[in-house]
This record gives sequence, C-alpha cells and structure tokens, in this order.
Amino acid sequence: MKFTIILSFTLLVSFSALAQKETPAKSCCSPMLASLTTQQEALPETSIYQFDHQWKNQFNQPFQLVDLKGNPVVMTMIFTHCEYACPMMVNDLKKVEKEFTKKHKDVKFVLLSFDHLRDTPERLLEYAKAQNLGDNWILLHGDAEQVKEISLVLDISYEQMESGAFAHANKKLVLDQNGTIVFSMDGLQTKPKPVVEAVNKVL
Amino acid sequence: MSLKWTIWFLGCLFIGMQLPAQENMKMIPAGSYKPFIKGTTERIAVEAFMLDKYAVTNADFLAFVKANPSWAPDKVKALFADSGYLSHWPENYLDNKSLESSNEPVVNVSWFAANAYCKWKNKRLPTMHEWEYAALALPKGATDSAALTQINNDWYSRKTPKQAEVGSIYENKYGIWDMYGLVWEWVYDFNSVVSNDDSRNSEDVIEGLFCGSASLNASDASDYVSFIRYSYRGSLKAKYTTRKMGFRCAKSIQ
Repeated sequence: MKFTIILSFTLLVSFSALAQKETPAKSCCSPMLASLTTQQEALPETSIYQFDHQWKNQFNQPFQLVDLKGNPVVMTMIFTHCEYACPMMVNDLKKVEKEFTKKHKDVKFVLLSFDHLRDTPERLLEYAKAQNLGDNWILLHGDAEQVKEISLVLDISYEQMESGAFAHANKKLVLDQNGTIVFSMDGLQTKPKPVVEAVNKVL
Repeated sequence: MSLKWTIWFLGCLFIGMQLPAQENMKMIPAGSYKPFIKGTTERIAVEAFMLDKYAVTNADFLAFVKANPSWAPDKVKALFADSGYLSHWPENYLDNKSLESSNEPVVNVSWFAANAYCKWKNKRLPTMHEWEYAALALPKGATDSAALTQINNDWYSRKTPKQAEVGSIYENKYGIWDMYGLVWEWVYDFNSVVSNDDSRNSEDVIEGLFCGSASLNASDASDYVSFIRYSYRGSLKAKYTTRKMGFRCAKSIQ
C-alpha cells in the first residue's frame, strides 16, 4: 500500500512536470526581434532587414536580408517553375539593370522564391545561369514561414495551387540602403523608367 | 485491491492532466467545404485540426506582452504593427486589474502580433480554409443554416459598439464559440490570391472577388456576409490593426 502511494505521488509529480511543459515559457517568438545583430539595431523601424530569417543564396551560402544593407535593391518574388509571368518579370528587371552603367554595380537585384520545396539553391543557380543573370543578382531560398512573412511586408499575395504552382501578385519593389521600401509597382511588361528613377533617387 | 484503486486513481489523474491542454481547444474533424470564392463546384478538403474554443482575450494577450516586451504597445516596430496597435488599452496596461481579467476579445492587433502570439503558445494561426470550414458549423441545436444567417445579420445590424465578451454569442456543434458575431479574425493566409491562374496581377484578385459575387444568389444573405468577409480580408495588410479585428489560434494534429 505504502508503495502504491509513493508510486502515485511520483507519477503525480512527473505528470505535473509534463503538464507544465505545455505552457509557453520561452520569450522569443517575435521571429524577427529575437536576436538582433548590431547591424540590425541601427536600422530604421520600417526596414524589412529587421527579420532575422536565414536564407540560402544560389551558391548555397547562408544569407540574411541585412547583408544587403548599403546597397540599393530591386526586389521581387518568383518561382522557377513558373512558365509565363516570372520570366516576364525577370525580363522587366533585366531592362532596369541595363539602365545602370558600370559605376552603379552596387545596385542589387534580389529574387525571393515562393517555392520552398522545389527552388533549392541548386535549382536557383541553374535558373540564374539559364536566365544569364550576373553577379549583382541574388536568388534566395527560404522556408514556408519566412516566405509568408516576407511576402506580407512586401505586400505580395500568393497562393499555392494543387498543381504546385503559385498564383501570385507581380510586384517590383525598390529598397533604399537601409531596407526601407521606397517604391513598388504592380504589373508585368512594365517600362523600366519608374523603377530606374526610384533607384536613382536613393543612389 | 489497492493496486486496482491506484490504477483507477492514476487513470483519472492522467485524464485530468490532459484536460488543460485541450480544455480551450476543440478538434475540428476532417471534411470539405465549398469556399465562397471558388464558385459552386470546387470543394476544398480540410484535414482535422485543433482550434481555440474562444477568441484570444485582452487578458491572454496581456500575458503575452508581459512575457515578450518587444510586443508592448510602446515598443512594437512600425514594420509589424500600425499606430492603432492595442490603442484601446489604458496607459497603465501593465498594472491594470480590469485588463488582467478582461474576457473581451483582444482587438487592434496586427497579423504579425497574432502570429507571434500563437507561436508563443506553440500554436499557429488557422488557415483561411480551416477557419471558414469551422465557421460553417451550425450552432448547437440548430437544424439549418438559417440560424447562422440570423447571427450574422444581427451582428451586421447591431448598433451598439460595445464589445461583447468571448463565449457570449453562440457555440457551434464542434464546441467552438463566436465564430461569427464577435470580431473579425485574422487567418494565416489572409492575403492569398484567390484565382486558379498562375499569372495574375493583384488587380485581378479584386476582380475575382467581384466575379465570384456575380454568381451569387442575391437573396441568400449568408453569401452576402461571406462576400463582405472575403472582401475585407483582401483589403488588409499584415501590419494593420482595427478595433473589430481579433484572432484565435489553431494547432495541427500530429
């Protein structure tokens, strides 16, 4: 009898411990504010570089958006299995790129992928080669959660279809050297001029 | 004999221990539904999942802010919430007895704040399909959808701006309270585009909504309220806060 009481008591204690594990204790979970680097601390409140998401670039190197700090950025979201809209979007951005002379090599062109499953860094590198994208183009792969969060600050809506393809808004954005969005434009086959002017303003 | 009683006792204890985790969540069984936006033919399958019984209250959210000071009204970054964030809270929110016990749903929260809260609880925001599917369940005891329509109509035509408490409007057959009639609620993918084409512009999303509306039977008021809800979602941005928008959390079943 004594044994059973002790047993019950022991189990009670261990169950209580288990039950307590259910309650949240960690004080993280502002995904973006958890571990600010010194680089991030100096950012304005409107900077999208405040996210501490870990991306991979097309060379399979770790990449954080804050690594873009100091450069004017032209940004959009694509997926490489996209047959129609995304090649047009990339083409639009290539036209923008042509407007900049060699002395403005610090303008970066960033393509974030919606497709966290299929757009591996290897696949992104193949795509960059096939599209003949130069050194100033950065193609980024991230997980579903960070893709969702970045899409929300960029205001690019998307939905994955059953086929695996993505329905998505086509938006070009320009970010200043601190990662604040200074310009955005919807649509495809747009003239490069408004984007070029927006970049020139921050150069 | 004593062993039998011990097993019985431990059994009760074990069940009792399970309760706190599930007490405030209910299981929504797997099924499918016809979303308002997709026309009348395509049904969307929804897997079984857990959903909070009630919308998150001011008291709940205060606990979150205390544990995560970066989400305090005076600390939150402009990227993650607009200036209306928690603007209904008093200045002394950290030491406010009525807020600590407030059973009113928290409002004036951005998607980012709602998402962070659910993560903190080891949960997540429900997807739009999950939310809509769970919300279609009839009130307990009701036999047809007229009861839901009535709740929505009453809500939309209510003039008093006073915020009702959670658990005061109605309980549906899954044991979930106030899916309609209390506050609008954030969903994880509120900004999904809603067309089947892989190359749409955001303008077309709005068009898609209105095309959806063209196929409606105008006499069906429940479709009308769905139309309002989908349109409203489409107009939101993740940092927006409004005094009629709250949220509840969901959890996948492993």
